[in-house]
Amino acid sequence: MSGTGALSVRYPFERNVREENRLQVMQDQSEDLSAALAACAKGDRKALRHIYDSEAGRLVAVAQRILRRRDLAEEAVQEGFIRIWTKAHQFEPGRGSARGWIYAVIRNHALNMLRDGKREDLVTSDKLEELQDREQIDQIMASWQRLESGSRLHECLGALEETRRRTILMAYVGGYTHGEIAGRLRLPLGTAKSWIKRGLSALRECMR
Amino acid sequence: MTGTNPEHDIIHLADEYVLGLMEPMEAAAFEVRLERDAELRAAVEASRDRFLPLDATAEPLDVPEELWQRIDAGISAARPTPEIATAPSPAASNDNIKSGWRWTAMASLAATVLLAVTLGWSLLTRPDPVVIAVLLDAKGEAQAIVEDFGNEQATVKLLADFTVPEGKTLQVWTLPSQDMGPVSLGLLENSRSAALKGPALPKPQGEQLYEITLETAGGSPTGRPTGPILVKGFAKAPR
Repeated sequence: MSGTGALSVRYPFERNVREENRLQVMQDQSEDLSAALAACAKGDRKALRHIYDSEAGRLVAVAQRILRRRDLAEEAVQEGFIRIWTKAHQFEPGRGSARGWIYAVIRNHALNMLRDGKREDLVTSDKLEELQDREQIDQIMASWQRLESGSRLHECLGALEETRRRTILMAYVGGYTHGEIAGRLRLPLGTAKSWIKRGLSALRECMR
Repeated sequence: MTGTNPEHDIIHLADEYVLGLMEPMEAAAFEVRLERDAELRAAVEASRDRFLPLDATAEPLDVPEELWQRIDAGISAARPTPEIATAPSPAASNDNIKSGWRWTAMASLAATVLLAVTLGWSLLTRPDPVVIAVLLDAKGEAQAIVEDFGNEQATVKLLADFTVPEGKTLQVWTLPSQDMGPVSLGLLENSRSAALKGPALPKPQGEQLYEITLETAGGSPTGRPTGPILVKGFAKAPR
């Protein structure tokens, strides 16, 4: 038996949870995830399994938006979970959210895989690349529309000029680099960088 | 714009890091800074939580059970973690936390002792390097030492065996400044310690980042690090 009673209750993952409830559910889960990380740091494998049951499906989806390939996304989640296990003691509750910490571990791993050139492997022709690119970018823009309407991030991204919003979403959701964003938007690199910088600054200002 | 306001700069760097917009070497340097700088950590945590709702928009996918099995197997192979006690007592859990800290402290201590030994040794035997960097792996273990003499000469001593796949090579890099970006100091042929002749660079500074990445044989085709970072560390000037 695990000593941490809360963890023996498995959190049923609500696939079809209504939009307006989603963030609240996620906040409640974050406290639960914080306890699970503390238990991982003490060597409780069930706690890691608990995080897996509640988050793995979404984490694979997040990694797939970055890496585009399902197999690579699963690899990122696999390696990421091993990292969560070995680094759980570094999480400090009461600072950033446990959820943010867990997602950052997987995101960083996916980004590292991407920068190591794994995504390039899937490019077979320019045409295919363009097609996948367009689909990818549509999917990225849709992530903004899927944000809870009325939430600060939704409103503040909405207040940005369209291209600036696009650059920020391409970076965060799709893992695009400065250079890739400049290329896709046909902008000089310096211009793209300064748009992103101003976009981020306006976003912080708005969300303050 | 408030580009000269240091607080503003920190917050912007945090955003760039969280969005994955830094070059891998910049990101590596940033992560080392992050470990020591609580203000920077707070900025990163705030930035993460600002953007997290975007991750929540991803529709969860069905994951195969074997993904968990691979994770479970990976954990067993990873650094030994304390076994779960059938009824963990508060004392036992405290011990675990302490041992985590102790492990980190030991690793830092080992790196420091190694640095001290190297310093003593190199001061006695040769012209002084301008800076010395102990390069650590992801577990915080010292794997290599770079001595940069600041005259286009640097020596790299490997302290561990590096497994390098066929068609790959170890490449040594430094980051003289954010503006210059990462610069290659040279390749380690046959994965051995070597004296390298690099390009003319500004005088190396304390806190300058050095790292070794795995690149395709002949060195990175782009002139910038493209492969995984194997080890990295910040330089110190001998006193």
